[in-house]
Amino acid sequence: MSGAGARENVFATRMALTNTKLRLKGAQTGHSLLARKRDALTTRFRAILKKVDEAKRKMGRVMQLASFSMAEVTYTTGDISYLVQEQAKLATFRVKAKQENVSGILLPAFEVDRVSGSDFNLTGLGRGGQQVLRAKEVYAKAIETLVELASLQTAFTILDEVIRATNRRVNAIEHVVIPRLDNTIKYILSELDEMDREEFFRLKKVQEKKKRDAASAAELKALQDGEEALPEPVEEPTEVTTDLLSSKDEDVIF
Amino acid sequence: MATHASFKDRVLIAVIGDEDSITGLLLAGVGHINEHQKKNFLVVDAKTQVSTIESAFQEFTERKDVAILLINQHIAEKIRPTVDRYQQAFPTLVEIPSKDHPYDPSKDSVLKRVQKLFGE
Amino acid sequence: MEGLFFNVGSGFLEGIVRGYKAGILTQSHYGSLTQCESLEDFKTQLSATDYGNFLANEPSPLSTATIADKATQILVDQFIYIRSNAVEPLSKFLDYITYGYMIDNVVLLITGTLHERDTHELLERCHPLGVFDTMPALCVATNVEELYQSVLVETPLAPYFRDCLSATDLDDLNIEIVRNTVYKAYLEDFYHYCTTLGSPTSDVMHSILSFEADRRTINITINSFDTELSKEQRAKLFPAIGRLFPEGNNVLAKADDIDQVRQACENISEYRSFFDNSVSTQGNGANHQDVGDMGVAALLEDRFFRTEVHLNKLAFMQQFQYGVFYSYMKLKEQEIRNVTWIAECIAQDARDRIQDFIPIF
Repeated sequence: MSGAGARENVFATRMALTNTKLRLKGAQTGHSLLARKRDALTTRFRAILKKVDEAKRKMGRVMQLASFSMAEVTYTTGDISYLVQEQAKLATFRVKAKQENVSGILLPAFEVDRVSGSDFNLTGLGRGGQQVLRAKEVYAKAIETLVELASLQTAFTILDEVIRATNRRVNAIEHVVIPRLDNTIKYILSELDEMDREEFFRLKKVQEKKKRDAASAAELKALQDGEEALPEPVEEPTEVTTDLLSSKDEDVIF
Repeated sequence: MATHASFKDRVLIAVIGDEDSITGLLLAGVGHINEHQKKNFLVVDAKTQVSTIESAFQEFTERKDVAILLINQHIAEKIRPTVDRYQQAFPTLVEIPSKDHPYDPSKDSVLKRVQKLFGE
Repeated sequence: MEGLFFNVGSGFLEGIVRGYKAGILTQSHYGSLTQCESLEDFKTQLSATDYGNFLANEPSPLSTATIADKATQILVDQFIYIRSNAVEPLSKFLDYITYGYMIDNVVLLITGTLHERDTHELLERCHPLGVFDTMPALCVATNVEELYQSVLVETPLAPYFRDCLSATDLDDLNIEIVRNTVYKAYLEDFYHYCTTLGSPTSDVMHSILSFEADRRTINITINSFDTELSKEQRAKLFPAIGRLFPEGNNVLAKADDIDQVRQACENISEYRSFFDNSVSTQGNGANHQDVGDMGVAALLEDRFFRTEVHLNKLAFMQQFQYGVFYSYMKLKEQEIRNVTWIAECIAQDARDRIQDFIPIF
């Protein structure tokens, strides 16, 4: 068949041609839209990447501060780890997820949801309570940073996923769908042309045959008529050749 | 999005870490023990088996109420293949430094991806 | 006169302790320790002191917790040596020293039992000085009621628990309240025991224990602001000894903020300086007051430690008394804290805070 590329399985008709052309148009619009979306997402993604990188480094410092405040607690109060582990009951430091819309992608972002609990208020009552209190605050701040980082990271993962999907779609449209529609259109056009040519050839054949028929009929007539005058018969076929379509011909269907 | 309904319930911060990190984070109030006496934290010391860490990691990542999973980097290092394979968006995995092991960005599985993307 | 007979029973041990005391790190030791770049350097520097090669068999990388553990172990070994050579009444006195640690250990076991943990694994978390022979017996208890009974039977802490708490209290009260209630009883008992030992032990020990009691009182007051601890409960935790007792304690029991605590301490000239900083910030401008209060509270602990060290150092000035044993333990504890602190600062690269320890000599 015509064209080496894949094409859709359609009948080569003018109707199909119109349809396919419309679909090509649609695919092109979709392609440009998706490409624009991809660009927007990538911009966003780059920004987030930068932030993730920064936040990770910031976390390094914050956590160092936090563990240092823990060292202060150990200095004054001694080892409180077991008590703290056993006293943990219900989380007072929670997170809440909210959504943010970036170019149609719902990105979750975590928010700190802290209820002031009285869990460890009495830890270090006799000694080092202030240090414990401070460590508590420092760690709470550190976790806020961590939560922020977690949001960024989630956004990063989801955006990464979405960008990949979008990329796949853009590429699919660009490299598969559009060529396929193109090929289909080419195929239909070539088929239609072929049909035109066949038709023309057929008509020509018909005409030729008619000419031949007319000639032989005239010959026969001439033979039959014998001495009849012969000037007219030559004129009629010439008229047919010059204006094939104007005259009604029972052999021509359309 | 498939996670749409579920991430509203994700409110907890789970931790896998050494004693000091856990103590600090618990002080801040992240500790939670649910009705089945399940904790949302795991204390890892020198004696803790790698398989214990692995199973805790699985458990926390499969729990529906965990939003963020914090893990000490040097512990993540012990189960690095599992951590690197982890790609889900929820719960978010964050590697944190510990007292004795300062933060090394080059080991972080997320940062590794970041670097790779920037490198491209 | 008592000096004449003191050496018969305790002269040897006093000599030993004074010898140990010479091994306490000095300012110049600290100077070189703070210069260390890494914990390996730190280890080398420490081996030049009385600590010797106590870290020689530890695998690298060293953790600060290991250093603290090992240093404590040395102290414990020294103590056990002294304890095993002691005769009455010094042995009794030394036992009293261990009760303080014992309280912490028992409280730890109570916490474990309350949360239905396997208390056997808690044994290794206990402070080695507070370990007593029958401690494993406490681990058999599966509920608080049983534990309470075994504490009464098995431990020397029985009177403190019996007088202050009932088995149901252990269940209901916050563990910190239990700890402080028992500790208060212990301090008072120790104080009275020292009185029976007569001068000069009682003189030295009274000044140290009074300070310890006052420090607890002040700390409890400050730490219980904005907590669920009611003022009546708070008052119950105050030891009935010390220089703040009784008027100061009464004021503190009603105090609502740091200013009131400061006023309560105004009457004791030595304690006035503890709150210095906030006075000066107030003079400079009221806008710094909040920071000042927090700062004072944090500084307070530091100042308490300094005063404690100072009082304990004074104990060495006097001969023929038991205070040196107590003071040596306390000074050594402070030293371990200092060493750990410096190690921590080195490990975490917090050079700016490295000087925040309390030098002893």
